[in-house]
Amino acid sequence: MTVTIEKRRSASQWAVAWRRFKRSKVGLIGLFIVGVYAFIGVFAPFIARYEPGSVQPLFEGDARQPPNWKHPFGTTSEGRDVFSDAVWGTIAAFYVGLGATGISMGIALVIGLAAGYFGRRIDDALMRFAEVFLVLPFLLIILVLSRILALAVGAGLGLTIIVLILGIFGWAGNARLIRGEVLRIRELEFIQAERCLGASSVRIIFRHVLPNVLPLIIVVSSLLIATNILVEAAISFLGFGDPNTVTWGQLLNIGFVNIVGEWWTEISVGLMLLLCVLGFNLLGDGLSDALNPRLRE
Amino acid sequence: MTLSVWKYVLRRLLFMIPMFVGISILVFLLMYAAGDPLQIIIRGNPKILQNPVFLESIKAYYGLDKSLPEQYLRWLWNFLNLNLGNSVYGGRPVNLLVGAWFWETVKLQLVALAFSLALSIYVGILSARKQYSKTDTAVTTISIFGISMPVFWFGIILILVFSFTLGWLPSSGAYGATRVWPSLKTVAEATPTELLVDHVLHLVLPSLVLTYANLALYVRIIRSNMLEVLRQDYILAARASGLPERKVLYSHAFRNVLSPLVTLVGLYFAGIVAGAPITETVFSWPGLGRFYVQATLGLDFPVIMGITMIIVVMTLVANIVADLAYAVVDPRVRIE
Repeated sequence: MTVTIEKRRSASQWAVAWRRFKRSKVGLIGLFIVGVYAFIGVFAPFIARYEPGSVQPLFEGDARQPPNWKHPFGTTSEGRDVFSDAVWGTIAAFYVGLGATGISMGIALVIGLAAGYFGRRIDDALMRFAEVFLVLPFLLIILVLSRILALAVGAGLGLTIIVLILGIFGWAGNARLIRGEVLRIRELEFIQAERCLGASSVRIIFRHVLPNVLPLIIVVSSLLIATNILVEAAISFLGFGDPNTVTWGQLLNIGFVNIVGEWWTEISVGLMLLLCVLGFNLLGDGLSDALNPRLRE
Repeated sequence: MTLSVWKYVLRRLLFMIPMFVGISILVFLLMYAAGDPLQIIIRGNPKILQNPVFLESIKAYYGLDKSLPEQYLRWLWNFLNLNLGNSVYGGRPVNLLVGAWFWETVKLQLVALAFSLALSIYVGILSARKQYSKTDTAVTTISIFGISMPVFWFGIILILVFSFTLGWLPSSGAYGATRVWPSLKTVAEATPTELLVDHVLHLVLPSLVLTYANLALYVRIIRSNMLEVLRQDYILAARASGLPERKVLYSHAFRNVLSPLVTLVGLYFAGIVAGAPITETVFSWPGLGRFYVQATLGLDFPVIMGITMIIVVMTLVANIVADLAYAVVDPRVRIE
């Protein structure tokens, strides 16, 4: 066993990670699912038969149809083709998932690095600040904010309002995780050596600490994307989303209102959402096995 | 409790004050960013506009004739006197409304918590004991599905199956299930036993959904902590000394899983008042969460302010209690 490790030492950190990732069945399944959804999102205009939110099937006399060859997921009472809208919803899900996670991880990274590296007063202040965000009743605040901002800013921003709110309120837990990791890395010998050689804090943070927290960031990002997609679906389901963008939550809301006798919207869109979130969660698990240094044998 | 514990509690309570004021100002300002409360009241009852005297008295009633800082201080003073103001719709006191919803929410949450704990402790220990067995794999697979499944969607599926298809359980509300008790015309005609059974039947589906929502996380935490404990030497020693496996598992090993569990339950209690807005909405459960959603959609600012701040206070207090309980179950933890 030790022999093989010696041989592989020349490979880069990422090549090793990829090799480990390939061994994890769970991670590969996740990657595949996410890949399929990314494909659906990118080629949505070619896959979807109707425009987003179009009620064209109504004029074709196809409203409220159970799943059939022409409408694989059926149609709603107002005449929306559920399959087309579910395909368009993929774009919204990726926008919210990636956008909000990007903002959250950006904030978490800055705060986590600063708190962990500089310690003492800065650490205290920043972690108290993070605590405020952890104590807030997350979902309730998000509901109030999305309702109020939509009124204050107008519907012009659309889904971006949700992305911003989820991004700004979702960083605290991960900032703590990153801080913990930075605290550990800061005490490692090679960092101390670098410091003795007279390297500036900026150089140490960006050249040495950052690359070492990157694996953790990738793992939690994948899991946070899954959470954000779920939360957005819940917000839209409750009627707080952007009415002008087709999202899965919105479709589920419509399906729930007409649930008596119209089960197909709930089942198909729900499964679509479930599978997408599952993909990101599995990917995160696989990445965690491949990248998390503490779990390495 | 020693002096240091009281000092700790006092310090945390003092820390709560700026936090409370900060959050309440923030929410207060946000409410005003949403639009003039007067317009919302008028939208709810356009007749107000016809009578200027009435309009003035409405303004005075909600304190809208004063400046913004004055209005905030008025709100704060009322809150400290346990007066949450009046709902914009119909002008009923928020205290009364919240009082009625509060218990429905707490009931639902406690039932869900009891189910979650019982199930997750059993399943978590089972899967930790047989790591990498088929049971364990099944549990981990189900739990990753659990965290990936939207809570409201699970509720909808349960309604589709158990209410619409099988007709066993009511799909909404907390009382008066005509589907289950077809013979029952009104609530007034039912005997107390029938009412109780009826209420319990209403509880089943929503509490199942909430249990499912908690389960994945709880099982994960119990399983990983148990795995760690079971590798310890003292467990080996306990087994070697011939203790029955049950005793080893439940009294020796499980004792050490209590501290993370206490943190979880503490967090749960903090969230209890926040309710489960999503689950309550799906099942039309007459609780705090559902009414919060409705108040937010209707911009009923006194209700939003009241509920938000109650939740913030409860969360802060529950965090302190959780910290204290943590020290009680784990003697290694010292409060300083």
